[in-house]
Amino acid sequence: MTELSVASLLFLSATLLAVGLFGILTRRNFILLLIAVEIAMNAAILNFVYFAAFAGTPGGLSGQAIAVVLVGLAATEVAVGLAIVLALNRQRGSINVAEATSLKN
Amino acid sequence: MIVEELAFLALAAIAVGTALAALLVRELVHTILWVSVFFVSLSAIYFLLSAPFLGVLQLGVYAGAVTILLLFGVMVTRKRIFAREAATGIGPFPLALALLAIVVLAVVAASLPQQVTLVRSYDVTLLSTTLFNQDGAWLVLLGLVMLSALSGAIYLVREGRE
Repeated sequence: MTELSVASLLFLSATLLAVGLFGILTRRNFILLLIAVEIAMNAAILNFVYFAAFAGTPGGLSGQAIAVVLVGLAATEVAVGLAIVLALNRQRGSINVAEATSLKN
Repeated sequence: MIVEELAFLALAAIAVGTALAALLVRELVHTILWVSVFFVSLSAIYFLLSAPFLGVLQLGVYAGAVTILLLFGVMVTRKRIFAREAATGIGPFPLALALLAIVVLAVVAASLPQQVTLVRSYDVTLLSTTLFNQDGAWLVLLGLVMLSALSGAIYLVREGRE
């Protein structure tokens, strides 16, 4: 039996969300944007695991199950993002999101 | 008890530090190496929070697959993979800081229970029962999302679209 304070756990995920948001708003490279989105998403998954640990074994397992689903969802999102990166690179010759200004190819 | 707290604080510091380093470093390949350390530290936090299955999943999916996928993306889209990025300013840094302050204030103001009690015994059977019986709809939904993502990705990168 060990104990951790809830506030420090939530503080960590809030900090990670802020770092991810900072990356999403400032970076121009598509791959860096994907990494920033992953950091923000991991902050959200971390919250599910915290509250699963907080709720105990019978009730909290739903939180862990949702976290498993979210990990799969985030991996799917990276795969689609890299497909977009490849398509963008082939059409524009650059993966700078500031240059991708039209949806038509 | 104190050991777990110290371990959590150290892991949290590593996670935040590597996440910041990943976004601030100028070489894209270094970014990916930093972010893999970030994923490994999150996996250690999951082990600490008595979710070892999620920790293993994090190691396999994130530190393994996503890192390799990102490296592959860098390899394919660049002529020189160690080329530097153009420097960008810290534009909306105050905005992110303000969001952080709001969340911290909300956490402090909310009357949350102060401690989370961690159990050391862990039964992965219970998790799989929850995952496949009670929350089975989520898993089916994830399968459908992955299927549509797969066909979408193939559509995006198919040949002869020019």
